[in-house]
Amino acid sequence: MVPLRVCHRLVRLRGVPSSLHHPVPTTITMAAPQPGCKTLRPSISSRNSSPHPLLLLPRTRTPHFLSAFSLSAALSPASTAGPAPKRFRTMATDAAAPPASAGCSAMKAEFARHTEYLNTLNDKRERLVKASRDVTMNSKKVIFQVHRISRNNKEEVLSKAENDLAAVVNQHIGKLVKELHGTDFWKLRRAYTFGVQEYIEAATFCRFCKTGTLLSLDEINDSLLALSDKSVEPLQINVLDYLLGVADLSGELMRLAIGRISDGEVEYAKDICSFVRDIYRELTLLVPLMDDNNEMKKKMEVMLQSVVKIENACFSVHVRGSEYIPMLGSSAEPDYAFFGGADYD
Amino acid sequence: MRPTATAVAATAAALRAAFFAPPVAASRLLPPRRVLLLPLHCLSSSYSSSAVPPCASPSDSQPPPLPALMDAQFESFRAQLDGSSALRDRIRAVVSEVESASRAATAALLLVHQPVPLADVLGKAKLQVEVIKGLYSQLAEILKECPGQYYRYHGDWRTETQTVVSMLAFTHWLETGGLLTHAEAQEKLGLSSGEFGLDVEDYLTGLCFMSSDFPRYVVNRVTSGDYDCPRKVLSFLTDLHASFRMLNLRNDFLRKKFDGVKYDLRRVEEVFYDVKIRGLVPGESKQEVAQS
Repeated sequence: MVPLRVCHRLVRLRGVPSSLHHPVPTTITMAAPQPGCKTLRPSISSRNSSPHPLLLLPRTRTPHFLSAFSLSAALSPASTAGPAPKRFRTMATDAAAPPASAGCSAMKAEFARHTEYLNTLNDKRERLVKASRDVTMNSKKVIFQVHRISRNNKEEVLSKAENDLAAVVNQHIGKLVKELHGTDFWKLRRAYTFGVQEYIEAATFCRFCKTGTLLSLDEINDSLLALSDKSVEPLQINVLDYLLGVADLSGELMRLAIGRISDGEVEYAKDICSFVRDIYRELTLLVPLMDDNNEMKKKMEVMLQSVVKIENACFSVHVRGSEYIPMLGSSAEPDYAFFGGADYD
Repeated sequence: MRPTATAVAATAAALRAAFFAPPVAASRLLPPRRVLLLPLHCLSSSYSSSAVPPCASPSDSQPPPLPALMDAQFESFRAQLDGSSALRDRIRAVVSEVESASRAATAALLLVHQPVPLADVLGKAKLQVEVIKGLYSQLAEILKECPGQYYRYHGDWRTETQTVVSMLAFTHWLETGGLLTHAEAQEKLGLSSGEFGLDVEDYLTGLCFMSSDFPRYVVNRVTSGDYDCPRKVLSFLTDLHASFRMLNLRNDFLRKKFDGVKYDLRRVEEVFYDVKIRGLVPGESKQEVAQS
């Protein structure tokens, strides 16, 4: 007996109705579980009124013996040479038909429903992941834009950033809103949570640069309410995503603070420092209460490092400020080059 | 906070003034710094108003301290999260009871591997199912307090539900020889598809768990003399496996468990082969075996 090792992909036929009956009285299944297995055990199953197995195989890679199953079903009329298979085939035709054929088609009908359900669910998940990636990318662009702020171009940078943020909301978050209904908000949260966190990071960052305050969750949700019309359920960001986004904000603020110090705006850096300290203090109390807080715990560690970096930078400026000897006729941009650039990483 | 802030500003200003010999530079620096500094202090009563402009005026308005405004929001968060973690504790308490009842039912079902009359075994299991049904209705009650958040806490009862479904499906097969459908499973647990239903993926994973009981069951039944059992189990399991193949699964937990089903099927096939080849199947004539 030739071990069948072929493993080929068969086209998946969706929605094959169970009425697609091929009267195949008997088929021989060759079970070859491991590639090295030399002997095959023929097993007999009767498929009186079930859909042809060949048509129902999924597109994914099927293991050896299942493909052998399908192949043998195709090959059984012209089975490989050898007396043994013929004998078993004869025996099989004499074997009593198992009574479960009616149950089998009922099972198939039931599972056809489950297939539909899982297909729609997974497609929706895919679309959400794509939309969430778009949101993430565009929010990151906004953040980079805001980082280019300096005391001269503050207004224009911020206004451009806000426009871009509004575009993110309208286009990409709009896509999220369209997909999420009812229980999806919690069921598929993992699919869109990263996009939402990035958006919150960008929005709070813009707000801080503009006014020095923390954009609140209610405000964000109010602005999102305006996005969708009455017929579609609005996307209301939940507390967990908001807190995760605010945790990421501290990293960006650290970069901003270091950047501002090297530009000479030490006061701004100190404000950032106190702001981040406050956020850290508030969040410490909330972390143990959050569901699945492993992510949040890691972010808190990173946040503490950010705070320490800002504090060390402010400390360096403060302590070494007395070493600064201005050059005659120097420009308005003070040169802090010798405050030790290696301190700010 | 405000006095210290202005003190800081004053010292910073003093430092600056000391450094920058050219007064031109100092004067050019001061106003922009004020612009940056003041928004922080310019917080009017409603911090939520997005229209607060960066105040360019040098006069400081009465600043509400910044921590208090943040505090308000985070206070409400803390209240919310306290509520949800209290809910979660209640859910966990009920789920641990479900787990112990399900364990009792599974232990009762282990008797099928021994030559014990089926009715007794099933009787004990059914008692536990009643208990579990009551516990699930408790869960549904708890969740009524926060509608739409079934999936937020779903992870807490997921594995227990899968074990319960596998136990129910096995019991159903022992009684009737057929597959417990999703609707029947929901009914047995007293759940409805509305608010608190049986998740389809949990149901399917439960079926995969059930199939792992079959090889052992078949082996023990044959040992105790029931030679017809392998055929029935084999046809059932083959149908189940074929039905599962209709699904398009992602590479998640369910997929792994489905991959396990084929190994159970193979073991049952081997038992069936052993019985068949020795002519032990009832109704088989020894004549055909003699031909080999």
